[in-house]
Amino acid sequence: MTWFSLFFLISLLICLASLGYHLLFLLRSGQTPDFAPPSGNIRAGILYSFTGAMSPVKKESAFLHLPTYAAGMVYHLGTFISILLIFLLWADVVFPIALSLGIAAFLLASASCGTGILIKRSVKRNLRALSNPDDYISNTLVTVFQLLTALTLAFGSVFTPWLFVAAGLLLLYIPMGKLKHLLYFFAARCQLGLFFGRRGVWPPHKNQTP
Amino acid sequence: MEKAVIDKGLKVFENGGDAKLITHLNSCVHCGLCAESCIYYKATGDDRFIPARKVEIVASVYRRYHTFAGRFLPALVKARELNEDTANEMVDLLFGACTMCGRCTMHCSIGVDIAYLVKTGRTMLSEMGMVPASLQSTVKAAVETGNNMGIPAAEFVDTLKWMEDELTDELNTKEAKIPIDVKGKKVLYTLNPREPKFFPLSISAMAKIFYAARESWTLSSRMYDITNYAYFSGNNDEARLIAKRMWDEMDQLECSTLVLAECGHGTRALRWESPNYLKKPFPFRVKTSVELIAEYIHDGKIRLDNEKFKEAVTLHDPCNLVRNGGVCMEQRYILQNFIGDFREMAPNGTDNYCCGGGGGQLAMSEYNERRMKTAGVKAEQIRRTGAKIVVSPCHNCVDQLTQINFAFKLNIQVKTMAELVADAIIL
Repeated sequence: MTWFSLFFLISLLICLASLGYHLLFLLRSGQTPDFAPPSGNIRAGILYSFTGAMSPVKKESAFLHLPTYAAGMVYHLGTFISILLIFLLWADVVFPIALSLGIAAFLLASASCGTGILIKRSVKRNLRALSNPDDYISNTLVTVFQLLTALTLAFGSVFTPWLFVAAGLLLLYIPMGKLKHLLYFFAARCQLGLFFGRRGVWPPHKNQTP
Repeated sequence: MEKAVIDKGLKVFENGGDAKLITHLNSCVHCGLCAESCIYYKATGDDRFIPARKVEIVASVYRRYHTFAGRFLPALVKARELNEDTANEMVDLLFGACTMCGRCTMHCSIGVDIAYLVKTGRTMLSEMGMVPASLQSTVKAAVETGNNMGIPAAEFVDTLKWMEDELTDELNTKEAKIPIDVKGKKVLYTLNPREPKFFPLSISAMAKIFYAARESWTLSSRMYDITNYAYFSGNNDEARLIAKRMWDEMDQLECSTLVLAECGHGTRALRWESPNYLKKPFPFRVKTSVELIAEYIHDGKIRLDNEKFKEAVTLHDPCNLVRNGGVCMEQRYILQNFIGDFREMAPNGTDNYCCGGGGGQLAMSEYNERRMKTAGVKAEQIRRTGAKIVVSPCHNCVDQLTQINFAFKLNIQVKTMAELVADAIIL
């Protein structure tokens, strides 16, 4: 095993252990019982929380900011693809050239979206006021990770050590700051679906005008 | 600020909180896309009012004491000590710049329950004795006198007798009563103390509806106040005490259904929170007067004159009743039954903008100027409908809408649902 693969592996184990701790802590903290009788369907509420409520048609934070929303979607997709790819590259899976170049092009686009979001955060006064160093570091680490995945796919093994080091650093950083939302996002959507589902607010009434 | 006071505030996070609290405290990614969902930001453009900033001030204190990065690298995640500066900023943002309407929650790109975190922050401040004086005095009046306006029982009963006389005169029958403290009736009806104090005609309006529906009902002279401002002050002990009184009164009067007057936050505090304050399920049925009136119409117990109102009517959805309570279509069902020209606001229903009077804002005179600035959003919504009557099933909203009408020269009438229905009822 190469040194960079070993570094990646150790980082992965630390990351998984930390996130596992967060998950366990969350589960062990338990849910305060709600004694008020429900007036809606909780399961339908949770399902809607992950589906309809996320739709750019319904979510104001999406439809009022479509370019940012679209950039965010591409950026997140690029992250998921990069995560999948690093495991495949780790297992020495070789891709056809056309496929490699196609994915690399997409990852370049997604990294550009990440850069755009970073620039927006740095330039816009209201976002700067809201941000902390963790926001910039998280964004940079993920963008660099996507960029190096693209370069590795396009130019081969010369970038592989850099990719694994970047991935390792990213994994080590994930439990520290906002990137934990890869875990808490799902918990938050569940909690919100539970709240609005229980009260009969989600899913919304069909004849309510948007 | 003394350490003992700070410790009281931090006690809210003791043992890290439950899964819901931990989840929401850890979820915000500072995207700032929630900004436009808030009437404070929308009306003023002030960055401080972006909902994420309100999340951040509570979450940053949590991080400082309960996360690895916050403890050892506070600058990395901007973790903040709970001290006098932080607490004062919390008071201004969480009490003075939020109605806890939950619109930002619904539109958050992650799903952070922002209103819940604001409520958590208010609880911290309440533990530290930092609730704005005007809000605390409203809670104190409710705790000490049984109603938030401190109306003496004799004055209240006199008002009811007066309203009963008006009702019997109007209907020309002695059968139209406003029963007080009668045991064994089906319904115990609650009131917002604004009704006996300022708008007694809304009591006789509901009495007229009960009379028309041949309902078995009573009011209580001891405990009629639906409101629970301790829900907004964040003091759970006082909220529990106020809620328990209503439960006890139901028991004492041996009624089977508690009917909640048109009060958004009162409905939320009683229907959704009181079982949790008391840690047990309701031993009786609870429904809002809006649901009850819709039922009366549906079951043919009351009939409404659809020629009565020729003017255009619009509906203001109270946040606590609709977005946070799920009562959304009943009021539309009622209005569509007898209003020829009913116009929806845009947006409406669960997406409707808060009137600006919620979250205890109407009780907090410290923030009057800011409250009326935020009201511009609602004024514009109303103006665009072209309606001449605005109906809202919430006395608190009605109060704010009345002030909006005056301040923004809208030239509209503001009514509760019961008032509108009572005017159109066919006997």
